[in-house]
Amino acid sequence: MIEVQGLTKRFREIVAVDNASFKVRDGAITGLLGHNGAGKSTTLRVLYGLLKAASGKAVIDGIDVMKDPLKAQSVIGVMTDSHGLNPRLTAREHIEYFAQLRKMGRAEINKRIDQLIVTLDMEDITDRRAEGFSQGEKMKVCLSRSLVHDPRNLIMDEPTNGLDVMTTRSVRSILQNLKKDNKCILLSSHIMQEITALCDEIIVIAEGKVLMQGTLDDLTLRTGESDLEEAFMKITRGAQG
Amino acid sequence: MMWSIITRKELKDALRDRRALAALLVFPIMGPVMIYFMFNMIIDIAEEAGEVSLPVIGAEYALDLVDFLEQNGVEIERVSLNAAPDPEGEFYSQAQLDEIRQGIRSRRFDYVLVIPPTFDELISASRSSNIELHVESTRATSAPKAGRVRDFVQAWGRETAALRLIARGVNPEIINPVTVVRIDVASQQSRVQSVLSMVPFFVIMAAFICGMGVAVDVTAGERERKSLEPLLVNPVPRYVIVIGKWMSAVLFSAVGLVLVMVLNFFSLSLVPLEEVGIVFNIGRLEIIGVLVTTLPLALFAPAIQVFVGIFAKSFKDAQAYLSFIMMLPMGPFFYNMFNTQDREFWMSFVPMLGQHMLLTDVVRGDTPDIIDFVLAGLSLLIYSMIFVYGAAQLFKRERIIFT
Repeated sequence: MIEVQGLTKRFREIVAVDNASFKVRDGAITGLLGHNGAGKSTTLRVLYGLLKAASGKAVIDGIDVMKDPLKAQSVIGVMTDSHGLNPRLTAREHIEYFAQLRKMGRAEINKRIDQLIVTLDMEDITDRRAEGFSQGEKMKVCLSRSLVHDPRNLIMDEPTNGLDVMTTRSVRSILQNLKKDNKCILLSSHIMQEITALCDEIIVIAEGKVLMQGTLDDLTLRTGESDLEEAFMKITRGAQG
Repeated sequence: MMWSIITRKELKDALRDRRALAALLVFPIMGPVMIYFMFNMIIDIAEEAGEVSLPVIGAEYALDLVDFLEQNGVEIERVSLNAAPDPEGEFYSQAQLDEIRQGIRSRRFDYVLVIPPTFDELISASRSSNIELHVESTRATSAPKAGRVRDFVQAWGRETAALRLIARGVNPEIINPVTVVRIDVASQQSRVQSVLSMVPFFVIMAAFICGMGVAVDVTAGERERKSLEPLLVNPVPRYVIVIGKWMSAVLFSAVGLVLVMVLNFFSLSLVPLEEVGIVFNIGRLEIIGVLVTTLPLALFAPAIQVFVGIFAKSFKDAQAYLSFIMMLPMGPFFYNMFNTQDREFWMSFVPMLGQHMLLTDVVRGDTPDIIDFVLAGLSLLIYSMIFVYGAAQLFKRERIIFT
């Protein structure tokens, strides 16, 4: 469970996140929806402990992220916006590295990697060096290394960005399975279709402000629109005008 | 230990990088090989100058002089000419002189002493005769030999003059008010010293060169690959990551350092140094001492490089800064080259200068005090810690994740 209260983040004079408050519950997929530059990535980076907020609070499973970022990081799995790999290491070595950094034991690591290889369908790339991996293959490695420690909470920055239909579908089904396991999942996206297909809850963000949070039905009902795109346009237009 | 996980991963990556490996191996091998060849060149020159062989034309006309030269260790090589002699017989014909010139040009001989047929006749009549020494003065190998031959001939001339004066009842000292006795204080030795002084330079450079590729790759390189942010979401303190990365560069640097030292001592042991009058023996104690003092260099150089790699905005940026830093090891080298003073206390604390002086002492066969080893080693250790601490501070900045 992730709770955010009055979160504000500034870069010099620019206010990237402005007094944002929202809740992400367990056993659901929550989408952070906003334009490019709306403050999605910054919000997530504060949540996973890479940026310090100027004010406000972020609590993950009862752990205050500002006070104890390392402890908070230990209960979350993160898929960042950057998906860089070491070209000379294999997929397995990438996953192993992160598992070791999370202090997992050897036997546990091997078992977990074998599982992930099957779920993410990556037998063919497991022992290949990352050099020349396709975008989809890279994303699979990133996803599996963020899941290797079986975190209760998952934060993902645009997880299906640049993936083909096949991979997107498999990522979706993985997320659905994690949801069934009662995990808390927060992802960001600017693609309506993505949000509609995946998310139980939607948080609309524009210019650093959280404008609305609710289910898809909530949003359409409250704006009086028939689909998410129209509803989103209406909500964000209000913020700009 | 947490940092060792990072170190192991970075090493695995670096060992698969052919460029990094080449950097690790090429430099430590290059230096000792260069030193080996330079020494052999010096020894060759020394040997050649030692035994002079002299081509002589008309040796039969100056029996006494030739005897004198042979007594002085000059090996006489009698040369006969094919060209027709002058029918008058006074001196050599134009054809013969052309043949001599041609002989030098075509390297049949480097230089040649030409004695005229009338030589002995004139000398025994107490007269004076010319002798020609044909030299190609731009040829480096012949100039010193020709110089020695000229000295010998002049010495014979002085001796002959003295004998003539004595025969006439005159003290030869009358025409020889002063005699310059040149005592060569082993000019070879100073040439050898200047080559030996390159050993510390190579060792210090190796510490900088061998770890640099890794140091930049694990810092600025990781940022540029966009693999830094994913790493930082793991619950590992930043200083632990910095130490892990630093240690991977340290290992490369240390391997390079040990390699260059072992190879340097090995190549010095191959060179027949005793032939140029140098006794080069380094005891086990000195080797241990040198290793203990210089190994902190393998901590120090990567500490600076990791600091710069984290400070830099990009890989290229880091490389540009580091090419300046590569100049650092030249500092002590030049300082010691022009510094004629004795060691002073503060010098041990100057990074690299202390190491440089210790290494210089050891390759010269002196044994520095234990305290100098300790001071130089410890101060370098402290400087390394300062840079690693600084690197960790830079690594904590938020902007590290933005490229």
